[in-house]
Amino acid sequence: MSNISRRNFVMTAAAGSLLAPAGLRTALGADEVLKVGVIHQGAIADTGWEYFQAQAWRSLDKAFPGKVKVTVLENITQTQDAERLFRQLSTQDHRLIFGTTFSHFASLKKLAPTLKKSVFECCAGIEASDNLGVFEARHYEGTYLTGIAAGRMTKSNILGWVGAFPVPQVIYSLNAFMLGARSVNPNATLKIVWVNAWVDPGKEKDGVAALVAQGADVISGSPNTPVQGLAAEEKGVWAIGSTGDFSAYVKKGQLTSFELDWSAAHIEAARAVMAGDWKPSTRWRGLGPGGFVKMTTNNPDLPQNVVAEMKAAETAIVDGKLNPFKGPIKDQNGVQKVAANAVIPDAELKGMNWLVDGVQGKLPSAG
Amino acid sequence: MPLTLEPRPQPSAAMVYLSPLIAVALTGAIALVVFAAAGLDPLPALVTFVTAPIADFYGVGELLIKATPLVLMGVGLAVGFRAAVWNVGAEGQLILGVISGGALALHFGPGGSAALLPAMVVAGAVSGALWAAIPALLRTHFNANEILVSLMLNYVAQLWLSYLVFGPWRDPAGFNFPQSAPLAPAALFPIVLEDTRLNVSAFIALAAVALGWVLMSRSFIGFQLRVTGLAEDAARYAGFSTRRMVWIGMLAGGFTAGIAGVGEIAGPLGQIFPTASPGYGYAAIIVAFVGRLNPIGILFAGLLMSLLYLSGDTAQMALGLPSSVTGLFQGTMLFLLLAIDVLIYYRLRNVSVAPVSAVPVSRAPVLPAPIAAEAAR
Amino acid sequence: MIDGAIGILVATVVAGTPLVYAALGELVTERSGVLNLGVEGMMLCGAVSGFAVAMMTGSVWQGVGAAMVVGAGVAFLFGVLAISLKANQVAVGLALAIFGTGLSSFIGKKYVGQAIVLEPSALSVAVGKLPLVGPLLGQLHPLVWLSWVLLGAVSYFLYRTRTGLVLRAVGESPRSAYAIGYKVVRIRYLATLFGGAMAGVGGAYISLVYTSLWTEGLVAGRGWIAVGLVVFATWRPGRCLLGAYLFGGVTTAQLFAQGAGARVPTELMSALPYLATIIVLVLISRDATLIRLNVPASLGKPFHAEN
Repeated sequence: MSNISRRNFVMTAAAGSLLAPAGLRTALGADEVLKVGVIHQGAIADTGWEYFQAQAWRSLDKAFPGKVKVTVLENITQTQDAERLFRQLSTQDHRLIFGTTFSHFASLKKLAPTLKKSVFECCAGIEASDNLGVFEARHYEGTYLTGIAAGRMTKSNILGWVGAFPVPQVIYSLNAFMLGARSVNPNATLKIVWVNAWVDPGKEKDGVAALVAQGADVISGSPNTPVQGLAAEEKGVWAIGSTGDFSAYVKKGQLTSFELDWSAAHIEAARAVMAGDWKPSTRWRGLGPGGFVKMTTNNPDLPQNVVAEMKAAETAIVDGKLNPFKGPIKDQNGVQKVAANAVIPDAELKGMNWLVDGVQGKLPSAG
Repeated sequence: MPLTLEPRPQPSAAMVYLSPLIAVALTGAIALVVFAAAGLDPLPALVTFVTAPIADFYGVGELLIKATPLVLMGVGLAVGFRAAVWNVGAEGQLILGVISGGALALHFGPGGSAALLPAMVVAGAVSGALWAAIPALLRTHFNANEILVSLMLNYVAQLWLSYLVFGPWRDPAGFNFPQSAPLAPAALFPIVLEDTRLNVSAFIALAAVALGWVLMSRSFIGFQLRVTGLAEDAARYAGFSTRRMVWIGMLAGGFTAGIAGVGEIAGPLGQIFPTASPGYGYAAIIVAFVGRLNPIGILFAGLLMSLLYLSGDTAQMALGLPSSVTGLFQGTMLFLLLAIDVLIYYRLRNVSVAPVSAVPVSRAPVLPAPIAAEAAR
Repeated sequence: MIDGAIGILVATVVAGTPLVYAALGELVTERSGVLNLGVEGMMLCGAVSGFAVAMMTGSVWQGVGAAMVVGAGVAFLFGVLAISLKANQVAVGLALAIFGTGLSSFIGKKYVGQAIVLEPSALSVAVGKLPLVGPLLGQLHPLVWLSWVLLGAVSYFLYRTRTGLVLRAVGESPRSAYAIGYKVVRIRYLATLFGGAMAGVGGAYISLVYTSLWTEGLVAGRGWIAVGLVVFATWRPGRCLLGAYLFGGVTTAQLFAQGAGARVPTELMSALPYLATIIVLVLISRDATLIRLNVPASLGKPFHAEN
């Protein structure tokens, strides 16, 4: 097992111990091959959300050569179909099955109790149960660091965020981006436009244009394709590869980036299932060894001192000394939401529904 | 060209029934070619493609539950298509069913009541019919082309649903994701086959088939619909009101589509998403055609279409083919059917013989020859 | 301020250009009496083939050329079924849309998520240096300018040339045109192929210029919008252009408004173009004279020559 940072280990152990092991799972025989099933909602590209999900199951073959066989389904856009296929995978002896998106969670929650011979893991799921584990990345740790770069490099002090959906994962990500920027540049502000889609190249491009028209000179978001980066580059502003390194396409304009790396979750689950000691758990990991967030390339034009600042912050986060959401933090309206030296607890982060000071954009009204 | 198409004096009854079978067979042949090109052993691949999805009870249940909205809507649409009333708005009408049924489910679901489900079905049917009434009204009063109006209304309906799910109906416990709260058990259709997702709505579809058959083959209205579709002038001369046919045709389509919408959320979905329908409204049009606008035919066509959906996923899982094969095969099947249909009205002739010019046969919805002859009388 | 206005204008024009191509193509097709609902499928096929060829050759124009050929090819399929075999045009169009979507997805599999990084067109850069119009025009790809040229060409063709007159006659009364001796079937085929080629260009524009990448659902329903757009424009080319910018601009305008801090009822705004189309349709249809003046009389009805 790779080194897990103290913080992550404590998290995992705590979560695991709260849930009683569900029955005896038999270990795999010496010659048996573990059949793993994975369902993708979209198409697997060469970067973006689905790509990272795919990299994770691809890593299984490298970690356990010859002992794992993965069945992959792509483009299962409708939840009804996903539900049927999860079930089919299970009845076809796939003992470890991965869901790759939030919308899989509802189906898996329904199905898992009826399909005891399989173990399910849902990325971006909410809560674990008997034979269902969940894991998600602390995207905000990555966005905090990119925020440092953005805060330093902005000239207009206006940053831009192309918002996919106003869900907590996006909200805490952009909040951390703002906090990271403000940690080095107290005058930075952030504008948001909501495109209401994870992938809609036309709208994303227009979103970037709209932000740039407002004076933003560093653009971030939840890009799944290079379109945001390319649009920013075209307009002569910086792009941040939040959840994806698009520098292969955005050769000059990408300032910095981070990627998601789910392989630890996949490998740990596979090992446990093969050894027969899998237990349900809720993993929420960010930077650091065994974590799900990995910083990647920095633009050669990013000054060395900024890179050093980012590195220092990264080390501090991994060592548990720096928490992006440590108070005092005010919200958009100036109300203090987090007291000095207090930290936002995980449960609250998972449901985060407010924007920090400096963010200039509204959350679309919920009913 | 060495071959030419010569009109038949009378539509060929044999071809009416043969044409879909030939189309399916040819689609199968094309599938074999596709499989071979993909490096698979074609025949076993085709067998897997066709049988794997229904290899167990659950699969059969899935087949039936996916066919349900297709058959239901197909029958409703066929009523209109017979009268040459082209309702392309089934998708939007289905969404209206989702909206109205969903509204009831979200408000009264938690309270729980035996009357809730029937109320949802009624609401869905009525709202779907009302949405279809718009193009009907605009056609009868303003001569507006119902194809285009109903098509545009699909978008409006979709946006309406988006607004609701992103806004007032968003699940407070759903972390701001655009989805409604899961529907309460009282708002879900009871399952009929244990361990599957097959629910009561399948019976509604069967009832629609039966009713549709009675309406179209055994009632005077059915007769009027056919005549209007075949020869509008003749129909008017006979005193049949085209207006009435437009209304009946559009409302039937909207009625069934609305119920199908309720069936989706009260069935396999159990929740309301902005993308409640994966294009069933359009697929149902194909089903209506492949089913020869005949309720019994539509029943089989719906099952076939449903199988194609399921097989597409199987193709990925068992054969390693991309998911796009579903759309490819569905489209191909319809193309072939429409092409082969030609042989109902025309036959291939060698042009060495000077063709006799015959009275052109109007292209109307396809019917077996005896009925067409009767209608033309 | 001027910069901002220019920015929105440019974005609107860019967003509307694929619609201009697709709608003008469909307009010509419909003017000959053929209703091709399969525009979405044709645009997708054009988008994916244009992208694939551009990836292989590095040239946008070769990609556009390929897209035209593929679009016309797919339209030919439609023509065979709807014109020669006289099948129901609604059904064939739908089948085409579904088939085209599946085909493009199939072909595009290996390109999903990839982006093409193209040099900004040398022509655009040169034009950008022109005084006055430079800042605006220079931001637009030559395909945008060509769309304006296309508009002029289509208008001229339809209203100022004999062939255009014949095409319109075929759309109004194929029987009479046939009686005079015009080759109705051939004219309809050509109009359909043209429509397919233009839809292909519209699709290629999206995948090569607008977003420079290929992904599933790239065209996002624009093909269907184009069909409605032709109605909205009452089958007049000039109005097609305006309508395209209106339809295309609605989404863009929403995003810009958001960026500026305004609260926009997104769905309502997005619905307006469709509602407007219905209203226009009603307005022009309510009177037999108005209809005759606007809608090609034989639209959607197959022509039986029985030669």
